Amino acid sequence: MTATTDLDVREGVDRETVEAVQNMGSYKYGWDTEIEMEYAPKGVNEDIVRLISKKNNEPEWMTEWRLEAYRRWVTMTEPKWAMLNYPEIDYQDLYYYARPKSMEEKPKSLDEVDPKLLATYEKLGIPLREQMILAGVEGAEAAPAEGRRVAVDAVFDSVSVGTTFKDELAKAGVIFCSISEAIREHPELVKKYLGSVVPQSDNYFATLNSAVFSDGSFVYIPEGVRCPMELSTYFRINAENTGQFERTLIIADKGSYVSYLEGCTAPKRDTNQLHAAVVEIVILEDAEVKYSTVQNWFPGDEDGKGGIYNFVTKRADCREARAKVMWTQVETGSAITWKYPSCILRGEESQGEFYSIAIANNWQQADTGTKMIHLGKNTRSRIVSKGISAGQAQNTYRGLVTMHPRATNSRNYTQCDSLLIGDKCGAHTVPYIEVKNSSSRVEHEATTSKVDDDQLFYCRSRGMDEEEAVALVVNGFCREVLQALPMEFAMEAQSLVAISLEGSVG
Amino acid sequence: MLKINDLHVKLEEEDKQILKGLTLEVPAGEVHAIMGPNGSGKSTLSYVLSGRDGYEVTGGDATLDGASLLEMEPEDRAAAGLFLAFQYPVEIPGVGNMTFLRTAVNAQRKARGEAELSSGDFLKIVRAKAAELQISPEMLKRPVNVGFSGGEKKRNEILQMAMLEPRMCILDETDSGLDVDAMRLVSDGVNALRSPDRSFLVITHYQRLLNHIQPDVVHIMSNGRIIKSGGPELALQVEENGYGDLLAEAG
Amino acid sequence: MSEIAVKTKAQQTPQVTGAPKAVTALDDRLAAMSLPQGGFSAPARAEALSRLRVMGLPGPRDEYWRYTDPRLFNVPGPQPLPFDAKAPESPLFAQRDTLTLVFVDGAFDASSSDELALEGIEITTLAHADAAGDHWAAGLYGALEAAGQQPVKRPFAALNSAAAADGVLIRVTGTPSKPVHVLHRRAADAADAVWHHVIRLEEGAELTFLESGMVGARSNAVIEVDLAQGAKLHHITAKRAIDPKVGLSHLFARVAEGAVLKSFSLAVNGTHMRHEAVIDMAGDDAVAHVAAAVLGDGATGRFHHDDTVFITHGAERGESRQVFKKVLKNGATGVFQGKILVKQGAQKTDGYQISQALLLDEASQFLAKPELEIYADDVKCSHGSTTGAIDEHALFYLRSRGVPMDRAIVFLVLSFLADALEEVEDEGLRAEINERLEEWLTSHA
Repeated sequence: MTATTDLDVREGVDRETVEAVQNMGSYKYGWDTEIEMEYAPKGVNEDIVRLISKKNNEPEWMTEWRLEAYRRWVTMTEPKWAMLNYPEIDYQDLYYYARPKSMEEKPKSLDEVDPKLLATYEKLGIPLREQMILAGVEGAEAAPAEGRRVAVDAVFDSVSVGTTFKDELAKAGVIFCSISEAIREHPELVKKYLGSVVPQSDNYFATLNSAVFSDGSFVYIPEGVRCPMELSTYFRINAENTGQFERTLIIADKGSYVSYLEGCTAPKRDTNQLHAAVVEIVILEDAEVKYSTVQNWFPGDEDGKGGIYNFVTKRADCREARAKVMWTQVETGSAITWKYPSCILRGEESQGEFYSIAIANNWQQADTGTKMIHLGKNTRSRIVSKGISAGQAQNTYRGLVTMHPRATNSRNYTQCDSLLIGDKCGAHTVPYIEVKNSSSRVEHEATTSKVDDDQLFYCRSRGMDEEEAVALVVNGFCREVLQALPMEFAMEAQSLVAISLEGSVG
Repeated sequence: MLKINDLHVKLEEEDKQILKGLTLEVPAGEVHAIMGPNGSGKSTLSYVLSGRDGYEVTGGDATLDGASLLEMEPEDRAAAGLFLAFQYPVEIPGVGNMTFLRTAVNAQRKARGEAELSSGDFLKIVRAKAAELQISPEMLKRPVNVGFSGGEKKRNEILQMAMLEPRMCILDETDSGLDVDAMRLVSDGVNALRSPDRSFLVITHYQRLLNHIQPDVVHIMSNGRIIKSGGPELALQVEENGYGDLLAEAG
Repeated sequence: MSEIAVKTKAQQTPQVTGAPKAVTALDDRLAAMSLPQGGFSAPARAEALSRLRVMGLPGPRDEYWRYTDPRLFNVPGPQPLPFDAKAPESPLFAQRDTLTLVFVDGAFDASSSDELALEGIEITTLAHADAAGDHWAAGLYGALEAAGQQPVKRPFAALNSAAAADGVLIRVTGTPSKPVHVLHRRAADAADAVWHHVIRLEEGAELTFLESGMVGARSNAVIEVDLAQGAKLHHITAKRAIDPKVGLSHLFARVAEGAVLKSFSLAVNGTHMRHEAVIDMAGDDAVAHVAAAVLGDGATGRFHHDDTVFITHGAERGESRQVFKKVLKNGATGVFQGKILVKQGAQKTDGYQISQALLLDEASQFLAKPELEIYADDVKCSHGSTTGAIDEHALFYLRSRGVPMDRAIVFLVLSFLADALEEVEDEGLRAEINERLEEWLTSHA
């Protein structure tokens, strides 16, 4: 590796990136955990839906809710409008429920969790012991330990393995647990809010999720509470031929605040695996939610074999005045990404932001973006999307900004930039802009270009090889979004950007 | 001519009081200067007098020759003889400078019940006045303020003033962004317009403009009020010692 | 699921049209018109008809018709639209020396037209050529339209190729001394005018092609433009205030190496209008600029105007530019769907697109879908879209100079449209159009 001591670090590119780039490897999370699993039979039908509900010890109303979704799903057809090309999915040829045998009796505390599972998360750098800090965040050590703690809900295939810091969070009134637990313990909240942002009938994948979701995270921040630490969920798909369908529900009551992180990985397998998640966020008056994702599902190998099919519905409802949501996503993994984290700006003066980096390399295909639905007066939204395509990959930004006639004096600003590396990939921009009142102002800008030759030359003249130089320049291109990430994720994201582009030049 | 009495103004959008009881009178034929530190409300005063949206008058009045300005539309104030030379003149692509000027001149003449200028007469006048300000015929052909340098924009403002022949001229930081030569050109333009029935209110941060445009009275403004008025020596005092002493003196 | 691997990532645009088969509606539609037998164009017409039968008419849920309801184009006949035959004709282009062809409800009127003779140009009408038999346009008529059916279906263009009654066929070999001007006039209240022009510019040839006037209660126009190497076409359409209530037009162009296409359209009023431009940048260094200034006042009933553009860069160093400006008031709706498609290998493409709407009141709306689809890396493509009300600060500046409110708004609207008008190269024509705009704005203030 080249020495960096003399390297002139330019604006838009910093030392951590240089180091991250120099330490980059390939997909680090491709190993699997050998553990005895229990599966529901392959395929989906009403019995499977009932079985999943039963495994989770759900009350009758929840079973019915699932069945209603299932019955709707069988009448629906898979959407084909995205610029994605993949073979027909056989929904009857995969497992909808897989859990480690050792999880049959839900462990009472993390100490009782199967050491193999704990080891899995340890290897992934996810702290399931409260004294640990998030691995890979060495820079965080300098910060006061108090401020850098992160509570984790770890989901392994279909079940939640455990949730940390529950007691401490409970003292602040914060509920952070698996959704299956919430259904049992907090039915009044779940009944009130589940499906209120993403209805059962929302879309093909969300409806399937409503029927078969096995676990996920639940968060409730009470009125006026600033969540004392960051919350996070870590999703791991391990079992083969298994779909992961998790469901997350976050409720931020009046005047509250929470920052939520989500990470995901899966082993390298040469078959495709389905992931169809739903995230619903309800934000009440003056509350604020930040939701950050680093999506690093296995993207498939360099020949396009394997990888996760990621069909995700994420939506935040700024239900009351001055509610605020910020989505930040770094999408580097998955063979197929179909994902549009959206904001419904219902409350007056509510705000939605969407910051996204989507990297598609080799044979990856990403069709991702956001919807900003302005319904209330004086609402504001901002979209910053950075798409990078390399190899034979196709990367599409798809977005909707709509200003309802009642959403007077509202504003949207959208900046959508695409970068192409190599002449066999594609970068596409498909925005829908619908403005139905005149006092609102909507501005959309998009650019597509290749990696700047001058920047590349500059980096290389300072001793970097081409791949390092590209990673560095790309990091600079993504900077605005990287800066929107919480520190815990920013560094990981930077090195991910570099890793994802491996093999993209030369 | 211009009488401002106990004027109170707040921002429409937020609860912020900018002018807090400002009183000022500019008699016919006089040049008054308003100086003050940043944020004292100088530009707000010029905008409120000329009728820009976004401000709410919560008390007091401002009259031009006895007629209250505050209820009038901006174009009616212009027709009544008020002119504001903008600190940042607005660019209007696609609209020729000449078309703009002629429309403004004739609209005002019409409002005052005067005959419109024929295009021949208009051209003759505008060319003569432009030449005095060293504004080239080519600049007149360009769209309003588009591609003009800072100095050119300010000269264009003075040309408009010369063409519209207002009775009460407000110059808002006209010296900002001007080099010495441009400042002289602009000042000569203004001085040429001085007359017994025309008054000027020159808003500026620095004394240097007042070397070129000699004021009769200098007002010091701070925190939405006039805190001291005096002769030209007041401006020199500010130049020497800054605003600190004056502000302290006013409490 | 378990055995599949993602293998092919075909580099193609997905079919966005669902092509719903509205067989009965199409049959009704066809039954209501008389389909000419055609002479030289007969094979092309037959082909177009079979294409149309496969496609069917678009449905309202069709993605390409997301913002414009196709039903007014689908119905067999237009609502009658009475007009004042004595109303003075638009003076636009009237002062110029042009070779003028008058079309009445889409059919050529030889008695009102100039003699079809001009140095460097071969010109005749579609109906005349069809009657005569063999013609140079045989290889072109309907061919560019057919090519433009991929990747998006355009059924009304196929309908036009099958059913066009008349049009002008122009072949240019040099640089004619004056523009060709098609002047449209109306005769019947319920005319459903369908015309089809074919314009072929040979190597290095140049032409200015103007269109103006009033057309029928409903119109369906197609212009096929084939530009050979280094040719240059300047195309300006200026439709007038009392224009078709329901109008649809397509421009299909193929631009060869170093050729230049500049197409500008001015649209004021009409109730339900859609203009599609489909441009194939087939040769290296091709240039295409398409621009429009649209003024819509919903007070005259309804106003809906859709500009749909699809530019395909298939060669290197192409330059394309789309400038669309819409001024909307009294509940008017403006639509813009624009796409730049850069194919693999079309390196050094420079694609630019801007769509902007100025909404003069709360009731108006602008719906836009500006797209980029890019498969080459060494390109510079961008698009921008803005929607908003008039700039309050500029308005205040004008008013503080004594310009009355109405007049100030006219100025700012003209200012807003200026970029689009810049695309009219000829200064005289530009000034003329600007004057017309100003007149309209003043009378609609």
